[in-house]
Amino acid sequence: MSIIVFTNFLKSVAHRFAILLYLVFALFPLYWLLKIAVTPDKLLYSEGVKLWPSEFTWVNFELVFTQSEFPTFFMNSAIVSSATALLTTLIAAAAGYAFCRFKFRGKLIITGLLLVTQMFPLVMVLAPIYKIMAPLGLTNSLLGLVIIYTAFNVPFAVFLMQSFFDGIPRDLEESAMVEGCSRFQALYKVIIPLTLPGMAATLGFVFTAAWSEMLFALMLISDSSVSTFPVGLLNFVSKFAVQWGQMMAAGVLALIPACIFFVFIQRYLVQGLTAGAVKG
Amino acid sequence: MNTLVTQPKSQKKIDLQRFLEPYLYLSPALIIIALVIITPTLVGISYAFQSIELLNPFNGGWIGLTHFKTLFSDRYFFSALANTLDWTLISLFFQFSLGLGLALLLNRKFAGRKLVQALVFLPWAVPTFLSGLTWAWLFNPIIGILPHWMTSLGMLPEPYNILSDPHLAMYGPIVANVWFGIPFFAITLLAALQSVPSDLYEAAGIDGASSWQVFVKITLPFLAPMIAITVMLRTIWIANFADLIIVMTSGGPANSTQTLPSYIFTTAYRRLDFGYASAMAVMLLILLLLYTAILLKMRSKLSNGD
Amino acid sequence: MRKILFCSLLSLSIASTLALADTKLKLVEVITSPDRTAVLRQQVADFEANNPGITVEITSLPWGQAFEKLATMVQSGQTPDVVEMPDSWQGLYASNDMLVDLEGRIAASGLEEKLTDKTLAMARNTGGKANMIPYGFYLRAMFWNKKIFAQAGMTEAPKTMAEFVEASKKIKALGTGVSGYCLRGGVGGTNGWMMFMAAMRGSPEFFDEQGNSLLSDPESIKGAQFLVDLYKNGHAPRDSVNWGFNEIVSGFYSGKCAMLDQDPDALISIAKSMNSEDFAVAPMPLGPSGKAYPTIGYTGWSIFKQSENKDSSWKLISHLTSPEENLTWAKKIGVLPIHKGAEKNAFFSTEQYSGWFEELNNPNYIPLTMPTHLKGWGYFGSVMAKDSSQEALLGMISTEKMVEDWAAYLTKEQQAWMKTQ
Repeated sequence: MSIIVFTNFLKSVAHRFAILLYLVFALFPLYWLLKIAVTPDKLLYSEGVKLWPSEFTWVNFELVFTQSEFPTFFMNSAIVSSATALLTTLIAAAAGYAFCRFKFRGKLIITGLLLVTQMFPLVMVLAPIYKIMAPLGLTNSLLGLVIIYTAFNVPFAVFLMQSFFDGIPRDLEESAMVEGCSRFQALYKVIIPLTLPGMAATLGFVFTAAWSEMLFALMLISDSSVSTFPVGLLNFVSKFAVQWGQMMAAGVLALIPACIFFVFIQRYLVQGLTAGAVKG
Repeated sequence: MNTLVTQPKSQKKIDLQRFLEPYLYLSPALIIIALVIITPTLVGISYAFQSIELLNPFNGGWIGLTHFKTLFSDRYFFSALANTLDWTLISLFFQFSLGLGLALLLNRKFAGRKLVQALVFLPWAVPTFLSGLTWAWLFNPIIGILPHWMTSLGMLPEPYNILSDPHLAMYGPIVANVWFGIPFFAITLLAALQSVPSDLYEAAGIDGASSWQVFVKITLPFLAPMIAITVMLRTIWIANFADLIIVMTSGGPANSTQTLPSYIFTTAYRRLDFGYASAMAVMLLILLLLYTAILLKMRSKLSNGD
Repeated sequence: MRKILFCSLLSLSIASTLALADTKLKLVEVITSPDRTAVLRQQVADFEANNPGITVEITSLPWGQAFEKLATMVQSGQTPDVVEMPDSWQGLYASNDMLVDLEGRIAASGLEEKLTDKTLAMARNTGGKANMIPYGFYLRAMFWNKKIFAQAGMTEAPKTMAEFVEASKKIKALGTGVSGYCLRGGVGGTNGWMMFMAAMRGSPEFFDEQGNSLLSDPESIKGAQFLVDLYKNGHAPRDSVNWGFNEIVSGFYSGKCAMLDQDPDALISIAKSMNSEDFAVAPMPLGPSGKAYPTIGYTGWSIFKQSENKDSSWKLISHLTSPEENLTWAKKIGVLPIHKGAEKNAFFSTEQYSGWFEELNNPNYIPLTMPTHLKGWGYFGSVMAKDSSQEALLGMISTEKMVEDWAAYLTKEQQAWMKTQ
């Protein structure tokens, strides 16, 4: 018996240790980012390989808040990312459900089409998109970005949602329908609650993808009042000098909302399904 | 109006509804994709058969397959193709196996799990431009610690920047890409893991199956659809993903990290030759189509075999 | 009746303010940095205050992506009125006939008398007609680390290329892992190759009269070989094969390498990170012919032909390049000013700037103007020269092969250009 206890103990030690390794790998570069942000400019190179600078400063964070347009950029990014995440998840949930529960003509072609959208390099569609968006007045607007991000995120989100729907036994909703629910009611009352973790995951992906997107944001927007934060970062890189401290400070600040968002969707991610619900 | 006539009519209506229902659910997705992606993509593909050089705007016009002929005698194209293969396969392998490992580790209750989850997923939320710059810092021996650690571990003879070594440079962006991509697999697979009915595990526990058996017999089959779709999509994405390479090495030194997408970017936005760039993009598209077709074929064979 | 009158008056006044506010200029800044954008905004605000009815909308593009972004804007018809035009793009936009010919306006405003000859020559660099007003010059000179030189027993910067190699050897012999030269093998390294090749060749010309490139003559090859040998013999850091601006400057700050060729604008960032007594700026080393050819660069303001407000645009450019504004601008961003007599200003007569002004005043230093009139020059510098010079440094191709490829490309470009003249 004690051997079992001991091996269990060993197992959980190994488990924690493995988690620790992942944490170190994930966080070390971000730690370095923070270190650069709090290092005074004159020590940036002379103490470049030290793990912590001999002096430290908050001045870069202050500058980002007071001297730059970053508060606006963060606001814009938050608006664009949340709108994109919501819109994409809704559209994708509907389409994913159709893929999972129906047999219909053109399914294979549509699947292929969704895949093809991911295969052509974005730099080659940039100019045509610009030409389409410019006359519609969507080049210097957050709405334009939301539309584009939604379009490019929908294909993956559809596949993701489809596989979550696939994981839910068909007889669940069938039995609901036998009991007198319409298909839509069955979807709403039985299926949706079960796919909440999947929706949360989708929401999380799309949000972060939109949060960190740079190419379209850079090419379509030239007015700084509607710029998003990744493009704002680029302004710290000028031809003759890079304002590392401020750039990294802005980068660290940008991680905070993403972190909060992850904590927020945790609940749904972790919630999972209870065994009873699936038995049907 | 008598009932005899209306009866088949409403039956027809119901049939029509049945027929239209899936398209109704699909329509928002299809409309936005058709307008925002498919149309511009077709325009982009049409560039491949035209001469579109911003440097020589008056040489425009349709030129058929000329670009594709040029392509087959372009030595940079083939080296970029080989690099794309290395970049994609190595990145994918580590992203997937480490991501699956993380998902399995997190699919267990332990104190502080929520915090750990939020933290290990953070790399996914960092803009690639910023993560590229950060990793480039870390690899720079003047301002980054990695070369010094690698030297202490005996991996490098002296602390130098692997991004400047044509034989090692590719591993720089690959490490950054693995770092960035682990959360993707971890999140999707974790979400899938949590929809594995726990009574299956309980049953297996009663039967006295080893954890490896449980993993192979229960967990993997449940994860299989998710694995298939994420691996396929991720391959396409990585193969098309040039940001990290452009930020960290801009394809150098001496083209040793030039992949097809980064070469396409350079051709389009440095040489301003959109026609030739598009021809390469079309080749990439064809190769990826082939890859997906093979993968889908294998998948359907497998599921038929079950 | 009163009401009607009032309404019509009101609408009239609205209409007239609309008419006055009608001129809206779009200005694109491409070499953006926060400090510099602030100066530009201030100068533009002054302009707007003096010219009621004209408003200026400034778009600041991040430098790293400015080229593709401007190209996309122009390609899709969102062309700005006034654009900050770096020398390396001038050839592209000028030969596509997109820039307004400014000769008439220069003559009318009497600028010809006030600007230095060099400034006018640069304005007319592409095809003889002025299509930009430069706002300042960059000139290469050699930053050297006094501390490291002192450790190696030297008190002066090398004056010739032979002394340059000697100094590098002494620094390497210190055995501290410090190299002599901060080589720029990555993006933007073209200037270094062109300077050393010209110094060996003893001529600032890039082409003969038939448009054949001179880069592949034996003397030029020696110049290229000079840099390759420097790297192969360990006189430049191993990593420097892929170094861009940030790496060479940080290499110099941190004492990884002791000599750096750079423009005056680098002075601003170097002075922030190093004590001023630890480094100095000397002229570029002289070649065997007794001459050196530091590259000269420039950036200025151009008007796009598609602009509907050319007169207002010219007003704005005239304001930005007026003597007082230009002096402020030059001091803030680290370029050499464009007006005659400006170098007599106290700011530029400090010791910091002496290296550059010696190059300007001593006949042994001949500023090397890059062939930026070629459409393909931007591509040559940012892609072709970078890729093949890295291959040569790493020993993957011979120096001869590299130089012959360059010569072939530039000959083709030059002859195409000559045909259009």
